[in-house]
Amino acid sequence: MNERRIIPLAVAPAAGKASGDLPERPQLASPPPLALYVHYPWCVKKCPYCDFNSHAPRGGEIPEAAYIDALLTDLESALPQVWGRRVHSIFFGGGTPSLMSAQGLDRLLTGIRTLLPLDPMAEVTLEANPGTVEAARFRDFRAAGVNRLSLGIQSFDDRRLVRLGRIHGGDEARRAIDTALAHFERVNLDLMYALPEQTLAEALADLDTALAFGVTHLSCYHLTLEPNTPFAHEPPPLPDDDLSADMQEAIEERLAGAGFRHYETSAFAKPGQECRHNLNYWTFGDYLGIGAGAHGKLSSHAGIVREMRHKHPARYLEGAQRREFVQERREVGVAELPFEFMMNALRLTGGFPRRLFAERTGLPFAAIETELIAARQRGLVQVDGDEIRPSEQGRRFLNDLLTLFLRD
Amino acid sequence: MQHIRNFSIIAHIDHGKSTLADRLIHYCGGLSDREMEEQVLDSMDLERERGITIKAQTAALQYKAKDGQVYNLNLIDTPGHVDFSYEVSRSLSACEGALLVVDASQGVEAQTVANCYTAIEQNVEVVPVLNKIDLPAADPDNARQEIEDVIGVDASEAVLCSAKTGLGIEDVLETVVRRVPPPKGDPAAPLKALIIDSWFDNYVGVVMLVRVVDGVLRPKDRILLMANGAQYPCDQVGVFTPRSVPRTELSAGEVGFIIAGIKELQAAKVGDTVTLASRPAVEPLPGFKEIKPQVFAGLYPVESSEYDQLRDSLEKLRLNDASLQFEPEVSQALGFGFRCGFLGLLHMDIVQERLEREFDMNLITTAPTVVYEVVMNSGEVIHVENPSKLPDLSKVAEIREPIITATIFMPQEYVGPVITLCNLKRGVQVDMRYHGRQVQLIYDLPMNEVVMDFFDKLKSVSRGYASLDYEFKEYRAADLVKLDMMVGGEKVDALSVIVHRASAQYRGREVAAKLRSLIPRQMFDVAVQAAIGSHIIARETIKALRKNVLAKCYGGDISRKKKLLEKQKEGKKRMKQVGNVEIPQEAFLSVLRVDEGK
Repeated sequence: MNERRIIPLAVAPAAGKASGDLPERPQLASPPPLALYVHYPWCVKKCPYCDFNSHAPRGGEIPEAAYIDALLTDLESALPQVWGRRVHSIFFGGGTPSLMSAQGLDRLLTGIRTLLPLDPMAEVTLEANPGTVEAARFRDFRAAGVNRLSLGIQSFDDRRLVRLGRIHGGDEARRAIDTALAHFERVNLDLMYALPEQTLAEALADLDTALAFGVTHLSCYHLTLEPNTPFAHEPPPLPDDDLSADMQEAIEERLAGAGFRHYETSAFAKPGQECRHNLNYWTFGDYLGIGAGAHGKLSSHAGIVREMRHKHPARYLEGAQRREFVQERREVGVAELPFEFMMNALRLTGGFPRRLFAERTGLPFAAIETELIAARQRGLVQVDGDEIRPSEQGRRFLNDLLTLFLRD
Repeated sequence: MQHIRNFSIIAHIDHGKSTLADRLIHYCGGLSDREMEEQVLDSMDLERERGITIKAQTAALQYKAKDGQVYNLNLIDTPGHVDFSYEVSRSLSACEGALLVVDASQGVEAQTVANCYTAIEQNVEVVPVLNKIDLPAADPDNARQEIEDVIGVDASEAVLCSAKTGLGIEDVLETVVRRVPPPKGDPAAPLKALIIDSWFDNYVGVVMLVRVVDGVLRPKDRILLMANGAQYPCDQVGVFTPRSVPRTELSAGEVGFIIAGIKELQAAKVGDTVTLASRPAVEPLPGFKEIKPQVFAGLYPVESSEYDQLRDSLEKLRLNDASLQFEPEVSQALGFGFRCGFLGLLHMDIVQERLEREFDMNLITTAPTVVYEVVMNSGEVIHVENPSKLPDLSKVAEIREPIITATIFMPQEYVGPVITLCNLKRGVQVDMRYHGRQVQLIYDLPMNEVVMDFFDKLKSVSRGYASLDYEFKEYRAADLVKLDMMVGGEKVDALSVIVHRASAQYRGREVAAKLRSLIPRQMFDVAVQAAIGSHIIARETIKALRKNVLAKCYGGDISRKKKLLEKQKEGKKRMKQVGNVEIPQEAFLSVLRVDEGK
C-alpha cells in the first residue's frame, strides 16, 4: 500500500457526492488491539442526569456472587470470538462497580486472567463512587489487581452534589481522593461543569480543588440532558450556551497551565497518563463487553460486528442459566464504517495517522477522501503529512464535522 | 314547476348555516339517521374542520307542506367567506329565494350584508331567519332591527328557529314554500342550462351542476357547450339528495347534475350554457364574470426532489378548483417551485393545507403579495406579482398598487382600535354608519397591507367580533420600494417584499430582528441586513455559536449518539442553504408576522 500518497486536497469534490464505491465487506489485514469491558449494573441510587444502564437494586440486595458467576460464564462463552488474542486493558464500569466486595472483584479478576491472555502491563481501571464505604475497599481493590481508579467526583460543592442527586458530599469526596492516591498511582477524577445554577467561579473552584490533589488524569464533562432521564423531563436551570462555553474555555486554559494535555473532547492527562482503555475506543480498536447491557465491537476476517448483552440485570442473570447472553448482534455495514471510525477518532486532539483508517475499518482511505476535502475546505480538519486531526474549530463543532461523514 | 323551490342559505361563518342545512335535509328524509353525519353538505374534511363551505353543494328535498302538496325543495349551499364570494353569486343565480340566517345572539355581520346585496341584485327573494334562539344571549328583537337597519329587508315576519335543537324547522320549510317564488321557464323551449359548478370525479369524469332555465334534458341527448361548441353524449342526469340520484330527465326550473364523459374540467366552464346539439338555443345565458387571482405566493417543496410531486399535486387540485393558478418559478434560496395565484388569503391557506394534508407535501410558502402595475419610463405597463421581479427602479416611472374598498362591521366598542388599525395600514375612511350597536366602517385600503396580516390584526383588536368584506376598487400610484433581506451578505430573493417607503425602515428592522431570532447560531457570525437597493437600512448580527459537540461519547455504546447526530443532520436537511448559512423554514414566514402594533 502506498502510504505516503498525498491527498489531492486542492481538487474540489463533485457536488454532493460521497466518496467512491466501497468494497462489499471490510478487508482487515489483522485484528486490532483488544480490550475487555465489564459492566456492573447497580447503583445505590440512580442519578437524575444518568442515562447509563444502571439500576437501584431491588430490595437493597445485590446478587453479587451469582453476577460474578454469570460474568465468568459470559466471558467463557465469548472466548471463541477472541481466540488467541491478548487483552491490553480492562475497564470495570457501571453502575457503580466499587459496590462489589474486594473478594468478589478478586475472584472476578482471577477468573478473567485464567480465561484470557492478559498483557502483563495491562491497564485495569475500576470506576468508583467517592463514598466512605467504597474508600475502605480501595486498598483491597489494588491488591486484587486494579491499577487505575476513576472517581465519579462531579463536584466538591455540596449544594451542587445534592442538585445532581449524588449520594456523597464534598468532604467525603476529598477523603476518598486522599485514600485513592495512597494506594493508586493512576487516579482519574470525573468532574462536571455547567451544573444547575453554577457560576464560572464555582466551576473553576471545583477544578482547582481537583488539581490540588495532584491527580494525573481529569475528565471534565459538560453536563448534558440526556433523553429519558428525570433531568430531561424537568430540566433544571442550567447556565446558558455562552456561560457554559466560557466555563469550558477557562477550564481548558487552567488545565493547560497545570501541565495537562487536552487529548480528547472531555479528557485531560499528564503526558503518558492517558487512559489506554478509552484510547482503544477512540482509535476504533476491538473490545469485548460482558455484563448486563455491555456493548462490544469485534473484528474478524468476516467483518466487524457490534453486540449487546441482555440489558436488564434480572434478564441477564436468567439468561446466564442457559448461557444466553447476547440480546443484539449485528454486522456494521461498510457504509456506516467511515462515520463510526470518525465519530471516535476525531474526538482525539491528535487525530489519527491515515494508515489507521484502513487498518481499523478494512476500507480503502478513498472511502473518506471526499468528505475530508469538504471538511478541510470548511476549516474543520487539518492534514499534516500523514496525520489527520480536527482543527480548533473542528473540535468545537465536532458534531458539524461528524455529520459530514454520515451517509444518507 | 309550481312545486319547485330553489333556494340557498346566506349566513356568516358560525351563524349556523351548515347545521340548518343538515336539519332541513334530515327533516325531509334526505338522509337516514345512520347516514346523518354532522354537516353533511360540507364534504371536504377541511370544510368540516374549519366550519366553512368552500364549494357549492346541493340537496334536492321532498317536502309535504301543510297545504297537503309535496314540494321539491332544492337547497343550494353557498360559501360564507369573502374569498369565495364569486361562488355565492353563482349559487344565487340558480335560486329564486335565499334564507338570510342571522345568529339571534350576534346580529348582522359584514359578510352577510355583502351576500345579501348580491342576492337582492340578482332579484332573489330574501327570507330572514333568526337562528340560535335557544341561546340565553339570543335577542331576536335586536337582530330583527339590525336586519332592517343594515340590510333594509323587512324582518317583521322573520322565522325563529334553532338548528341545533330542531326548533322551528317546519316553520322554516313552510316559509320557503310560501315566500320563495316558483321558478319561471319554458319546458318546451330549446334547452338552456347554466353551469353553476363543475368538478372532476375520478370515476365518471367531469360532473356539471346545472340550473335548467328552459327546456328538458334526458340521458342519451347530445349536448352542446355553447362557449366552445364542443358536443358530448349525455350519459346521466340526476339530483343530489345530497347523495347523487339518477333521474330520467331534468326539466326547466330544476337544479341537478349532468355527466357526459368529459375528461377536462376546462371544457365544462362554470357560467357556460348547456344546450342540445339537435335543437340549440339561439343565445347563451349571461354567464359569470371571470375571476382573477388577487394574491400570489411562491410555493416550494422543502425537499427539492419533491418538485415533480408538487406539480402533480397542484394539477390535481386545479381539477376541482379552476380559480387556482400556478406557474413554475425559480428562487435562488428555495430552488424550484411555483408561483401560485389565489382568490384571497383563506384560499391560499386552504390550498396549502390541502397540499400538506391530502398530498403529503412539505412546503415553504413565501410572503403573499398582490399584483402591482408598474409603468415603465417607456410608457409600457407591466404587472408584477413577485417582488423579486420588480424592474430596476431607474427604469420605472410609477408603481401602482391595488386599492380595495373594505366594509367592516363591528360592535361599537371596537371602533377606536379598528380605525387605528386601518389608519396604520394607510387606509382612507370613506364612510362610517351606526346601525344600533353595530358600526359599519368603509375604508379604502391598499391591498398589500391587507394581505400581510390585516385579518389577524382585525380579529385581535376586535376580539374576533369584527367582520370584513372587500372588493377591488382601483390601481393607485404610491411611493413603493422593494425591500430586500440579506443574510451573510447574500440576498435572499424569497424574502423580498414590496412596501411603502414610509414603512420600509420599520419593516426592515423588524424582519431583521425576526430573522436573527429564527436563524440558529452558526459556526461564524452572520449579518442579517435589510436594504433598499444598495442602501442598508437595518442590520442585526447572529453571534456565532460557541460549540456543538457531544461531551461524553461512551466508547462502548455509540448507537444513541449516532442517532443524535443523524437527527442533527436530518434537521439541517430541512433548512435552506443561502451562501454558508442554513435558514430554517419558519424564517421564510417571519416576514409575514412582523407585528406593527407594538
